[in-house]
Amino acid sequence: MTRVGALIFPGINPPLAESSFEGADLEPNELERFEAVVLPHLDAAYTLARYLTGDTQEAEDVVQEAALRAVKYFDGFRGAAVNDGRAWLLAIVRNTAHSLRQRGGVVTAATFDEEQHSDSVADEDPAVDLDRKESRALLREAIAQLPAEFREVIVLREIQDLSYQEISDITSTPVGTVMSRLSRARKRLRRALGRAGKEPGL
Amino acid sequence: MTDSQSDRQLSAAIREEMPPLQAPAAVRRRVREAARRAAGVPTSHRFISARGGRWLALAASLAVVASLGWWLGLSHASGTALADQVLASHVRSLMPGHLTDVLSSDQHTVKPWFNGKIDYSPPVPDFAGQGFPLIGGRLDYVGGRPVAALVYGRRQHIINVFLWPVSAGSRAGGGSPSRSRQGYHELHWTSGDYTYWVASDLALPELEQFAELVRRG
Repeated sequence: MTRVGALIFPGINPPLAESSFEGADLEPNELERFEAVVLPHLDAAYTLARYLTGDTQEAEDVVQEAALRAVKYFDGFRGAAVNDGRAWLLAIVRNTAHSLRQRGGVVTAATFDEEQHSDSVADEDPAVDLDRKESRALLREAIAQLPAEFREVIVLREIQDLSYQEISDITSTPVGTVMSRLSRARKRLRRALGRAGKEPGL
Repeated sequence: MTDSQSDRQLSAAIREEMPPLQAPAAVRRRVREAARRAAGVPTSHRFISARGGRWLALAASLAVVASLGWWLGLSHASGTALADQVLASHVRSLMPGHLTDVLSSDQHTVKPWFNGKIDYSPPVPDFAGQGFPLIGGRLDYVGGRPVAALVYGRRQHIINVFLWPVSAGSRAGGGSPSRSRQGYHELHWTSGDYTYWVASDLALPELEQFAELVRRG
């Protein structure tokens, strides 16, 4: 399974230096299509950026930079319906967030390693009362502490309601990997909550 | 792969924890204008970059601070003035991008962040277990000195805790231990080595509950 996002979505992975506003060009008759296909998804773009970066200012920068990339590479994008633009813009947002992070020298807590982060612990599925406020605080904390690769599939799936295939396209990751990351991310969150349930003193 | 019931429960909790957000109007406007400009359509406003916008925002907030300072200097005695400064700092911190300098729910990240920025190392407890999770920290300027501001959350509410050492001629503030103004509550006390000011729009009983946790450390 080697369906790679860059083949479907033009411009989702350009080097940052290219994406400056200078030289960006949109055919005048394309403006209407851009406004109809891309602009309606700015809220989704901001939501994704906000939860990927954890910071409002950074999220604004990411969305703006991503939108400039979208303008620049729009002529290579064939989508015409409102829904077409969503996954494309989100893919650009996702990659922009990654490259801004790298450029800014921000290093994520742990480098990601499929093996290292796989869960060898037996499936446990403790009944957890998610209504408890403590659990909510712990859930927030557990989400914040997920490795970036796990958090992004959670956000794309749960918040953006995207299909496995769309997530696969956006993250340039095989569908199987998307599914296993999602399942392991959920398991981690459940386990964090389960631990809370067992330690009332926490 | 069918979603089990607990998956659905977890999904619901995650969605509630990370609700869909709206892009700020300024971002929306800048993007729209960038697209129009790229298409050669004249735009009514000059294109302002994110960075330029931020400088404008900073300049605007500095102007607010300056005029507030002037106003405070003219019209208030020191105790009340300190409470007003705390309130102003709290309100300013709620403006976009002003809340935290260090964004972390980990007390062991927030506490050392203050090293070299102020001349004391403030206690940074986390009350996530009690429903007041630590959000981060910030350097602020209150009572004529740089102070540590700790930021906590309670549902959608933000709580600012300002603290600085009692000694070294700093002003403890005096005045009443609590005050409500413009929909915000402020609590003030001195315990151990530190003077504390707490500000939030949280309901007063809950804020007092939080203050009690801080007092007990």
